[in-house]
Amino acid sequence: MLHVGNEKVPVCSGVNRRSFLQAGAAGMAGLSLPAMSQLEAAGAVDGSKAKIKNCITLFLVGSPGHLDTWDMKPEAPDDIRGKFKPIHTNVPGIDICEHFPQMAKMMDKVALIRSLHHKTGASHENGQRWMMTGHDFTADNPKPYAGSVISRLYGPKSNLPASIILPVKIGNTGTSTPHGQKAAFAGTAHEPFFLGADPARSDFQVANLKAPAGQTEFRINARRNLLAELDELQRRTETKATKQRETAYSRAFNLLTSPETKRAFDLDDEPDKLRDRYGRNTMGQSCLMARRLIERGSRFVTVNHFDTVFNIACWDMHANGSSLNNTYLDYENILCPQFDLAFTALIEDLQQRGLLEETVVAVVSEFGRTPKLNARGGRDHYPSAWTNFLCGGNIKGGQVVGSTDKIGAAPHDRPVQPPQVLASIYQGMGINLETTMMPGPGSRPIHLIDAKPIRELF
Amino acid sequence: MDQVFEGTPKAEIRLEDRRVIRGDVSNDWGSKLQWQVSRDGKVVAAVAARIDSAYEHPEKTPGKYEIVLQLFKYINYKKDAKGEYTESKFIDISNKVGYTV
Repeated sequence: MLHVGNEKVPVCSGVNRRSFLQAGAAGMAGLSLPAMSQLEAAGAVDGSKAKIKNCITLFLVGSPGHLDTWDMKPEAPDDIRGKFKPIHTNVPGIDICEHFPQMAKMMDKVALIRSLHHKTGASHENGQRWMMTGHDFTADNPKPYAGSVISRLYGPKSNLPASIILPVKIGNTGTSTPHGQKAAFAGTAHEPFFLGADPARSDFQVANLKAPAGQTEFRINARRNLLAELDELQRRTETKATKQRETAYSRAFNLLTSPETKRAFDLDDEPDKLRDRYGRNTMGQSCLMARRLIERGSRFVTVNHFDTVFNIACWDMHANGSSLNNTYLDYENILCPQFDLAFTALIEDLQQRGLLEETVVAVVSEFGRTPKLNARGGRDHYPSAWTNFLCGGNIKGGQVVGSTDKIGAAPHDRPVQPPQVLASIYQGMGINLETTMMPGPGSRPIHLIDAKPIRELF
Repeated sequence: MDQVFEGTPKAEIRLEDRRVIRGDVSNDWGSKLQWQVSRDGKVVAAVAARIDSAYEHPEKTPGKYEIVLQLFKYINYKKDAKGEYTESKFIDISNKVGYTV
């Protein structure tokens, strides 16, 4: 039996141990070591065997067309194959778009999954929920963001939050349904920390680390002491909610007052040459910051490559002549070059620091784009087939998992569903998917994810 | 949140015979980098420059050739009816080098 919140829940192994899966038990330092030992004894997580300690997710909001990037079909008719040409990579037999020349040099590290698909609607938010949580759901039945799951299971390693999202929250991407970047039943103490600012700007400041106007560090510490006294009183009538609030307050105070924490967000510490290598743009500098945060103790960092799809250059290539007017020009001049530099700089940098072995980098998107070009030369939403990829950790690079048919319209072999990507990451991070449960609606326990890992990746 | 590109990207380029070689780009915005080749003042080619740090233009038509390194400057994604950018554009970021055929 594992305990989730206040509920006893059965597990497949029949293990009868107390679980620390209550967020409240995390306390100021996150999950306590004794509690971690209990969960390890229960077989739910085993950090010692985990090959992957950290995860960086690059979330390509808007979604690149698979036929224009990582699943090109040069033999297809004109109105399907698109404008770009494939180039060879350093792995014979794997070609990718000509606008990823740096990535082509490190394909031996990358595992492409070319047969992703889902059938739950073609909105951006459907795909966001799948890729960020491993579930589809409605607003009244939310599932936790993967970073929140990792935060809850492993807790923080340092004063930095275990789960951070850069640079900002996903905003309007079409519908007002959830984006899948909230803690939900994982508990408020495990909400991801949002940077809330663009690290590429010269006036960059972490919005969520600025003390309120008129608040000095002395006053903040005084408030912390006062809060501690109040908390002591509260403990006598303690509830799960007060415990979670305490954790959230403690985290906020630590973030506001710790010099190490502030320094983690200071990109001026990095050599100019390295900042240039990542690209002096929002994506590039966010990737650099992701590396700094992982290096300093965060476990799960997501970079949202764009927070909206409207009126900006982003991957959502409808070419509609209006507020969704991204075209091949944007892919060629901005999006592909930015991604190519930022992604490859991140991999190189992690490797040079010895972090790539323990950090998986997952590049994910919501769906693919229509095989047939629309009347204006764009491509529309297409969840029936797309390509995402992983590298780092113990992921076997230099391979392609699955394939699509001749026009990229549907998986041809080895179809892969979105939850399998997160299932693979969770398993790599030492989480037993059979035994680990999370609180669901009405505290009813649910599996973290209902999917098998992608076996070829390991 | 739309992107804002700050600072001034710069690079030095030099010729070795007809082969042009670039150094690193400082303050690199990470957008498309290209060699712009002109002959007798008229642009005859724009060639991707990220893939390699050197380029030799294959054309042998007689004339005075000039090469400059350009970076795409994104201002916004607005396009005209033909689908061309109205404000975003390539800008020169290097010195110019030239040779005569």
